[in-house]
Amino acid sequence: MTVKEVITSPRTGDSIIRIRHKSGLVIYVCEMPGFSSVEAMFAAKYGSVNTMFRKNGESDFTSVPEGIAHFLEHKLFENEDCQVFDLYAKTGASGNAYTSFDRTCYYFTCTKNYTDSLKILLDFVQKPFFTKENVDKEIGIIEQEIKMSSDNPDWRVSSNMLRCMFHNHPVRIDIAGTAESIKMINADLLYKCYDTFYNLNNMVLSVAGNVSADEIISICDMCLKPCRNNGLETVFPDEPDNIVSPEIYEKLPVGTDFFQMGFKCSPCSGMERLKKTMAGAVAVSILTDASTDMFKRLLSEGLINFTFGPEVFNGDGFFTVIFSGESSQPRKIREAILGEIERIRINGIDLNIFQRSKKTGYGALVRELNNVDAVANLMLNAHLEGISPFDKLNVLSELSPDDVYNFICSELRSDRIVLSVIEKDGVNNEL
Amino acid sequence: MNYNRIELADNIGFSSVIDEKFKTSSFSISFITSLSDDSAAANAIGIGALVVSNSNLPSLAQMNEKCSFLYGASLTSYTRKRGDLQILGITASWINNKYAFDGENVEHEMLSIVRDCIFSPYAPNGAFSDEAFNITKKDTIDIIDGAINNKRGYAFTRAVALAFRDEPAANLSYGSHDKAEAVTAASAFMAYQELLRSAQIEIFYISSAPNPNAADLFRNCFASIDRAPAPVSFRTPSPLKNTPESRSEIFNVKQCKVVLTYKSTSDDLFALALMSMILGDTPFSKLFLNVREKLSLCYYCSSSFLRTKNAVIVDCGVEKENISKAVEEIDRQINEIRNGNISDDELENTLRLIDDSLESVGDTPSSYSSWFFERFCDNESVSVSDYFNNYRCVTKDRIAEAARSLSLDSSYYMLSKEVSE
Repeated sequence: MTVKEVITSPRTGDSIIRIRHKSGLVIYVCEMPGFSSVEAMFAAKYGSVNTMFRKNGESDFTSVPEGIAHFLEHKLFENEDCQVFDLYAKTGASGNAYTSFDRTCYYFTCTKNYTDSLKILLDFVQKPFFTKENVDKEIGIIEQEIKMSSDNPDWRVSSNMLRCMFHNHPVRIDIAGTAESIKMINADLLYKCYDTFYNLNNMVLSVAGNVSADEIISICDMCLKPCRNNGLETVFPDEPDNIVSPEIYEKLPVGTDFFQMGFKCSPCSGMERLKKTMAGAVAVSILTDASTDMFKRLLSEGLINFTFGPEVFNGDGFFTVIFSGESSQPRKIREAILGEIERIRINGIDLNIFQRSKKTGYGALVRELNNVDAVANLMLNAHLEGISPFDKLNVLSELSPDDVYNFICSELRSDRIVLSVIEKDGVNNEL
Repeated sequence: MNYNRIELADNIGFSSVIDEKFKTSSFSISFITSLSDDSAAANAIGIGALVVSNSNLPSLAQMNEKCSFLYGASLTSYTRKRGDLQILGITASWINNKYAFDGENVEHEMLSIVRDCIFSPYAPNGAFSDEAFNITKKDTIDIIDGAINNKRGYAFTRAVALAFRDEPAANLSYGSHDKAEAVTAASAFMAYQELLRSAQIEIFYISSAPNPNAADLFRNCFASIDRAPAPVSFRTPSPLKNTPESRSEIFNVKQCKVVLTYKSTSDDLFALALMSMILGDTPFSKLFLNVREKLSLCYYCSSSFLRTKNAVIVDCGVEKENISKAVEEIDRQINEIRNGNISDDELENTLRLIDDSLESVGDTPSSYSSWFFERFCDNESVSVSDYFNNYRCVTKDRIAEAARSLSLDSSYYMLSKEVSE
């Protein structure tokens, strides 16, 4: 039986419809009057970190090659008789997909014929077609994608940092895998992963914009094949609390030196993770506020520029706080941040900055509701994180200075910090 | 939606777009001027310094404190290139008053801040303050130096410099490193004063409800400026080189980049745009289907039409040993179009994608300002559906003719170190 529930934000008055479809799929719809676009996202809770798993009735865990979730994403775009892009071409929609550490997401954006495009999306994601020939053909394309990422210093500074932070957790592995690992992927392994993770009970559909929830339910009734929960179990290797190595430097052809500096924090899930994420977001906002002496000093001494900024980055089994930017002296920045943490530990939180940081967070959440794409992402992220779409607003409004102080004192530890630096490597030679 | 454009003064347009669905308001001001290596860096630093402080909020800390108090209102500057022109400006965005839970008049406060940034920058003694200048100068130089970090973008920039050599479009939007190093707090301020005096200026105010005071707020301030706007050309087709040129550079990279620039003598802009899309700007284009999907040579191989310069640029990332194969296939696919080998599906599907995409104009505040700004540059007031009709009227013959009008002007290669040695 299909069950509908309306979720309304008391703060902004916006409403979202959550549908538990009889097939097992959870669907989120946000009808946004006045907008022309539609954004639809169909995602599996399956990312690059899910390299060990088993289903009901299986005694042993299966291990698969690195990069297989991303490889599978590429191959689902090839139907038995055509390319998926050819189908979207008939509706005018722009379709694409991405794989991250913790999800694979197929999406389209359009302004016309959204019902036809939605049928295409639901249909092709449920219809895998893998052969030796089409798998072999994809290797060359993905190899080029991997090489392109290797030349991307932003990507390198981040993946170097994660490798120095985590001993065993697969977040340390590149999402697309390696040139070697993707050669171990074959059609049978792809089907195994598909059958395990592309179960509607492990997926979510999120649609926002110029749509009708009833129309979407009708299409789902037509296109979704009822699915029994397969009791999917994913595991991660044990991960120690400490880091692997405090520093990593690499030379690349870049114009400016830049860095990422990450604190390894303790992982958690669901509502606990949301509360910690919001506390972390306000904490880093306070730490890097332009009114602090630390920020003023770093800026006036030319140690940072406007690229300097923080983020809270987390997922299943990992939680990090990252500061990044361009600087030729990142060790001095590390010293300054640790000093600022110590200052807050002794003096407490500046309540004025705390209130402003909360208001900034609230403003960002209101802005998200102004945009079709952002709303679809908001609903999708909330489901995959095990929370409700407006929980962020509620948690933020209840956040106290003590929550933030405790986060800073317990999670931002000097022995859990990794500094990853990309340094300039020579100049080019014109031929 | 309600759109209205008025002239506040000589060559100063003020457009307001009122669309009740938005939860935010935004304001942007664009200064349009000729792109020159002599002035580009000073202009960029001058504009960048405006958002660091103003005479009422004379430090970055005070400016940031105020904006974060106003629910994280954003205030940023931008510099970009459009053909032979440099377009610089500042943009601000804030939540509507009804979402301000402490009852602040966010709209009024932000419009006042923006006005002060433009007309009352913190510049004691005819020079930007040390803080605003030093921060912005370092940031600008880091942006110029950091261009190489994005290998695809850098290869594209190098190809553009080669293709449009001796034309303003060959310059970097932020100017060169050396010119940026030479800028002083006083010269940056002078450059900004010159922009206020001589640039074409377009302002956009986008909100959910009309604000009758907004235009007057800026009209009154402009009244005290002695304007002498310099004419600018929004479209300057680039002449073809006598013989195609090629340049290669070696970097420590894993993947080589190829960027081919073709120039056209045709004025059939919609046919050229459609031709470029059919060639390589969709996931069902000839380059995607053949260079990527059929031959597995590249992850990306695409084309883009530079309307301002009448040029089509094809770029791809590829293994060194496959460069010739990729270039041959690109050439073969252009010849297919030249020979009129365009299927009904290719044409109709491309038109459908354009139509669908144009319909989304108005779903974000920035899509409104981009749309109306481009129409201003075209000097044509036209609806989205009439604009699409320009594409709809293009025939296969016109597309083939557009492809036949293309000649290879120059080729840029970014080569990887190990394969070059």
